[in-house]
Amino acid sequence: MTQELVNVTIDGVPVSVPKGTPIIEAAKQAGVLVPHYCYHPSLPAPAVCRMCLVEVEKAPKLMPACVTTVAEGQVVHCNSATAKKARESVLEFLLINHPLDCPICDQAGECELQDYVFQEGRASTRYADYAKRYNPVEDFGPDVLYVANRCILCTRCVRFMEDVADAAVLNVSERGDRAFIGIDPAQRLDHPWAGNVVDLCPVGSLISKDFLHKARAWDLDKSASVCPGCTQGCNIMIDTRDEVVVRLRPRANLEVNRHFMCDVGRMDYRWMNRGDRIEAPLVREAGSPRLLAVDWDRALARLAELVKGTTGKVVLLASGRSSLEALAWVRRLVAAQSITAAIKVPIGEAAVLPGVPNLALRRERVPNLDGAKLVGYTTEWQGALDATRSSALTILLDAALEEKEVKQLGGGPLVVLSTVHEDWYDSAKLVLPLTSMAEEHGTYINRDQRVQRFTQAKAAPGMARAAWWIAAEALALNGTRGTPSSAAEAFAALGAWIPSLGGLTYADLGLTGRIIEPTPAGSRE
Amino acid sequence: MAIGVKVMKRPETEVSYIRATLKGMRLTFKHMFQPKVTMQYPEEKSTGDERGTYTISPRWRGTHRMMADEQGRSKCVACGLCPQICPANCIKLVPGEDEEGNRYPLIYEIDEFRCVFCGYCQEVCPEEAIHVGVHYENAEYNRGRFVYDLERLTAQTHPVSSLWDPTDARGE
Repeated sequence: MTQELVNVTIDGVPVSVPKGTPIIEAAKQAGVLVPHYCYHPSLPAPAVCRMCLVEVEKAPKLMPACVTTVAEGQVVHCNSATAKKARESVLEFLLINHPLDCPICDQAGECELQDYVFQEGRASTRYADYAKRYNPVEDFGPDVLYVANRCILCTRCVRFMEDVADAAVLNVSERGDRAFIGIDPAQRLDHPWAGNVVDLCPVGSLISKDFLHKARAWDLDKSASVCPGCTQGCNIMIDTRDEVVVRLRPRANLEVNRHFMCDVGRMDYRWMNRGDRIEAPLVREAGSPRLLAVDWDRALARLAELVKGTTGKVVLLASGRSSLEALAWVRRLVAAQSITAAIKVPIGEAAVLPGVPNLALRRERVPNLDGAKLVGYTTEWQGALDATRSSALTILLDAALEEKEVKQLGGGPLVVLSTVHEDWYDSAKLVLPLTSMAEEHGTYINRDQRVQRFTQAKAAPGMARAAWWIAAEALALNGTRGTPSSAAEAFAALGAWIPSLGGLTYADLGLTGRIIEPTPAGSRE
Repeated sequence: MAIGVKVMKRPETEVSYIRATLKGMRLTFKHMFQPKVTMQYPEEKSTGDERGTYTISPRWRGTHRMMADEQGRSKCVACGLCPQICPANCIKLVPGEDEEGNRYPLIYEIDEFRCVFCGYCQEVCPEEAIHVGVHYENAEYNRGRFVYDLERLTAQTHPVSSLWDPTDARGE
C-alpha cells in the first residue's frame, strides 16, 4: 500500500510525511521536538494544553502542532520568536499555581514541566505576591495518588481511561483555575491497566504509591527488557537503583504494547530482588550426607559426567520464565537421550485493554510459552512429573515446585538449576546457581511468534551463571565443539538446530523484536 | 681520636658575655610591652564572626551542619541533590516517608574523611538544610566517628558558612 506523501518544510528541514500526519509528528521526522503536554501518540489529541503552538506560514494565528495536519508546501517555524513567546506565556500560566515542591516530587528529573521551563520558560515569576491554589492529595486507587496542586490539566489520564481503557472513571471537575481531575465518587481507579496514567502524566500529579519516595529519576539505571508476566510480551524498562529493581515501566513498541503495560506486570518485580539466592554450585560427593559448595570447574565436570553416564529417559522440568537460549541449550545438553520436557504454565485471569487491538494481560502467565514449544517443550506438566518416577535423570530448570509436586517426584538422580534455594534440594546430586531474567541477556518468543530480546538489568549474585552457559560448558566437556561465549553467540547458534531461527542474530532483533515463521511440528531436528 | 674533631679553643678570660646578654634581654623586654599577636590556642579560638580578636573567614568551609526546623527535626526532604552534586561521593542518602506522609531521609550520612569541603551540597540544597560549617576542630579517637549521621549533623551548633563574602557577594 502506498501512502500519499506530503512535502513540508519544518524549521528549514524539508520532510515528506504521509498525508494526515500531525505537524508534531512531522517535526519529529525533521529532528525537532515541539514541546507538548496533552498530545500523546497513543491517545486522541484534544489540543487543550496550547503548548505545541507553532507558526505556520500563511496561517493567521499560531497553530497547535498536535492537531494541525500537514499540507503540501507548508512552511512551519517551531522555534520562531512568536512561537517561543507563546510557549513561554503558556508555561508562565502553568506555573502560577504549580507548587515549588520539586525536591519532594517523584517526577523531578523526568518531569516535562521541569524540562520545558528550564528550556524556554521565564527566569523569574511575576506572581510572587499571590497565594497558590491548594487542594489536598487524593487517593485514586490501589496504586495511584493524585496530587492536585501539581496538575497541569493536560487530560491525558482522562483520555486514557475513557478512550483506551474504556472505563470513564476520571473527568475534569470544576472550571478555570479551580479545575482539577475528578474521580467518580462511586468508583476507584482500579482498572487492571490503570497504572498507565502514572506514566502518561507529564508532571508529578499522578504518582505510583509503590514507587513513592523510592528513588530519584537520575539515580535510576534503565535497561530494556521484556515483561516476564504473560505471553503478551510487553516491552518494558527495568529501572534499578544500586542493583535493586525499583520499578518496571512500559517501553514503546507500537507492534506489541504501544506505550502501555498492565498493573499485574508492573507490580511483578519483587522476585527479582530476592535475597535467598544460591550463590555457589553445590555438589553431593559420593558418600557425603550433604551438599558442598564447589567451584564451577568441579560442578561442570560433575554435570557433564552425570549427563554422559545416563542411559534411559531424561525428564526436564522447566520454568516458562527461562529464556529461549536457556531452554534450548539445556535441552540440547541431554539431546542424546529420550526426553520428556515440559514447562509449567500458571493460569490467571485475562484483562483486555479495549483501546489497543491485540493487547491484553493473557491467561497463560509465562513469557516464553511459544519459545518453549518451539524448542521442544510441552505444557504437559503433570505428565512430566509422573514421568520422573521412571526417569534415569531429572533436571529442574528454575522451576519452583509446590509441596505436593515435590512429593510426586521420583527418587531418581536429580540435578537442580535454580535461582533460589529450597530445603528439599538437599536430595539433589547437583544444585547450580542460575541468573534470573533480570540478570542476563536473552530472548523470549511471545504469542505472536515475535522473538524479543531482554537485556541485563542488574548484576548476578555470587557465582550465578546463565543456564545456556552451564549447558554449553558441560557440552564442551563432553566433546561438543562451538561453545558460545556470550548470549548473542548462544542465540545465533540456535539456528543450526531450530530452522525458523536460522540466520537470526541479536542485531536483527533490535529492541523491538522480529516475527518468525513457526516451524511446523515434526520438521525439527 | 678516631675521627678528626676540631676542639675549639675559646677565650676564657678576655670576653665578657654581659653585653650580648643585655642585648638579648632588651629584645625580650621590648616584646613584653608590645601587643601580643600569638593566639593562645586552645584557650583562645577563632570565631566565624567579626567579634573575636582572631577571626576566621565567613566563607570558611568546614565540617557539616544540618539545620533543623522549629520542631527540632532536620529540614532535609531527601531530594537527592547533594549526593548527586557531591564530587567526592561522600553523602549517603536513603529517602523514606514519615508518619505524616512527608518525605524525609531515613539514612543521611556524610563521610567527612572523603569530603573535599567544596560546599556544593550547601549551594545545591533547595531547603537550606545541609550547610558546611565555620569550624575546624575535628579530632576524634577513632576513624568511624568521622562518618557523621543525621543525628550528629543536626546536633552541631557551630556557625555555618556563607559560601561567599557578604560584603563582596560578586567576588569583585
